[in-house]
Amino acid sequence: MKKNFKGKVWKFGDCIDSGNIKGVMAGIDPEFHAKVEPGDIIVAGNNFGMGSSSEDAPRSLRDAGIAAIVAESISNIYLRTLINLGLPAIECPGITAWVEEGDEIEVDLESGSVRNLTNGSSGTFAAFSDHAIAILEKGGLIPYLKSSLANQRARA
Amino acid sequence: MGMTITEKICARASAKDRVCPGDMIEAEIDKLYIKDLRFSKAEDPKGLYGLFKEILKEMGIHKAWAPDKVIINFDEQPARSTRRAEGQESAKQFSREHGAIVYEGYEGGIGHNVMVEKGHVRPGEFIVGADSHSCTYGALGCFATGIGFTETIGVLATGKIWLKVPPAIYVELAGKRPAWIWGKDIALRIMAELGANGAVNKTIEYGGSAVADISIESRLSMCNMAVESLALNAVFPPDKRAIEYVKQVSSAAFTPVESDPDAVYESRRRVDLTDMEPFVAAPGVPSNGRPVREFIGTKIDQAFIGTCSNSRIEDLRVAAGILKGKEIHSGVRMIVTPASYGAYFQAREEGLLQIFEKAKVLLTASECGICTRPSLASGEVCISSGNRNFPGRMGNRDARIFLGSPATVAASALAGEIVDPREFLSS
Ligand code: SF4
Repeated sequence: MKKNFKGKVWKFGDCIDSGNIKGVMAGIDPEFHAKVEPGDIIVAGNNFGMGSSSEDAPRSLRDAGIAAIVAESISNIYLRTLINLGLPAIECPGITAWVEEGDEIEVDLESGSVRNLTNGSSGTFAAFSDHAIAILEKGGLIPYLKSSLANQRARA
Repeated sequence: MGMTITEKICARASAKDRVCPGDMIEAEIDKLYIKDLRFSKAEDPKGLYGLFKEILKEMGIHKAWAPDKVIINFDEQPARSTRRAEGQESAKQFSREHGAIVYEGYEGGIGHNVMVEKGHVRPGEFIVGADSHSCTYGALGCFATGIGFTETIGVLATGKIWLKVPPAIYVELAGKRPAWIWGKDIALRIMAELGANGAVNKTIEYGGSAVADISIESRLSMCNMAVESLALNAVFPPDKRAIEYVKQVSSAAFTPVESDPDAVYESRRRVDLTDMEPFVAAPGVPSNGRPVREFIGTKIDQAFIGTCSNSRIEDLRVAAGILKGKEIHSGVRMIVTPASYGAYFQAREEGLLQIFEKAKVLLTASECGICTRPSLASGEVCISSGNRNFPGRMGNRDARIFLGSPATVAASALAGEIVDPREFLSS
């Protein structure tokens, strides 16, 4: 996982529940899966991923190559799940005011900043915990567990 | 400076003297609930057990962390797809090889209710569940939250999760609850007051003088709805009523914890229940609640009492009380899905199922059922005692789902349109 990356924005509204995210946002835009390209970034409003904890929704975004989700707020289970799947999920309050669909944004996980390269505006988010960074670096919780537990065993 | 119930449980589970909101902790899990669906290959082609076996192999260990702490329930019975059937078989295999408790058949029902009724939820515990409505258990004074599929595998391997200690919103329930107000009405009102973003990743802690008069069923319903405000968890104090309930269903020891008088809350709000009106949430999101009078006259096609939110024995009694000796409106199909087989058989013993049958209600087996299984055509309107009214939740995206208490659902089924249940309660 890169800690600094740029991507083209697809913008969504508030309160998008995981049932409608399933199948790469199929509930909102059935054609989205054909438009989105690897490395693109989803920017959304409040409560992204609310509702069911079913993992097919976040997995569909990961499998479509989405680089990150940046939203005003993200449901707890959804946020954890995205990180556990190796996909940065970022809560950046206010972002929908200064990012539009089609803009290019740059995300820096270490400094906790987002820059809009299209219009020059920027914002910050709470930096990731070391634990979250470690999971993201390994590509998700499963590979992280495999390596960290194997390490523990090697030390023991 | 004191701590809240949630902070105390988080501190105990992470072997710390005290924690503050925002602290990252590694908490030891007391109980893990897994919905059978997670064992199917719906989320990963290898399935939960397949992935878990891979991890065990790489780690060189042989067993899940603490099999006696893992509880699995079959939320769909019998399975309606080969994939689900294979998931249930995989869950049983996991149980045979690792020793988890599995509830199925007449021992089961909807998992969250089964967890409570079978005594797996006790005050002071730190519980996670592989389903978003695991927050329900907070009604009995424990910390409980939902986790995803991948994280469930992590818990099976390590028995721990990482968590940011949540800030808490204190909701003081004051005044006198009118006889026609249940947990669902109160939850819908509070969610509307908090707004769709009002509790994201926070704790909702209930307290106040009106708590004593709120039934365990209603508390479960209120905590169940917490995730619809995107709260991390919700919790009631483990008062006399809660402790008596837990002692009835479990003989195991537990250590209740209460919030300190000087615990720090991010915000406080007071909700006076005196003279409160029944509440209904308009289609879209559960926080769309308003007093029922604003929806009166809305024609309905389907009325549903079910789900982990509201189909417990109290709900069945209330609905049967309204339907007794009557028949539902000819233009409505009404479905009742009891919360568990415990509730189902209790209802039979009390003669409630017979009342439903005579009222022309379709009774179903106890399971998640039409909470998510499509039953609504385009343009149809449903009033449901469930927890979610998102577009497409129960079928076509253009169907509309209103949420209300079982009393509101039953009364509306008689009238063929949304009504104020108060008119039907006295008669
Ligand atoms: S009843 Fe509905 S909300 Fe509850 S666990 Fe089952 S599917 Fe989920």
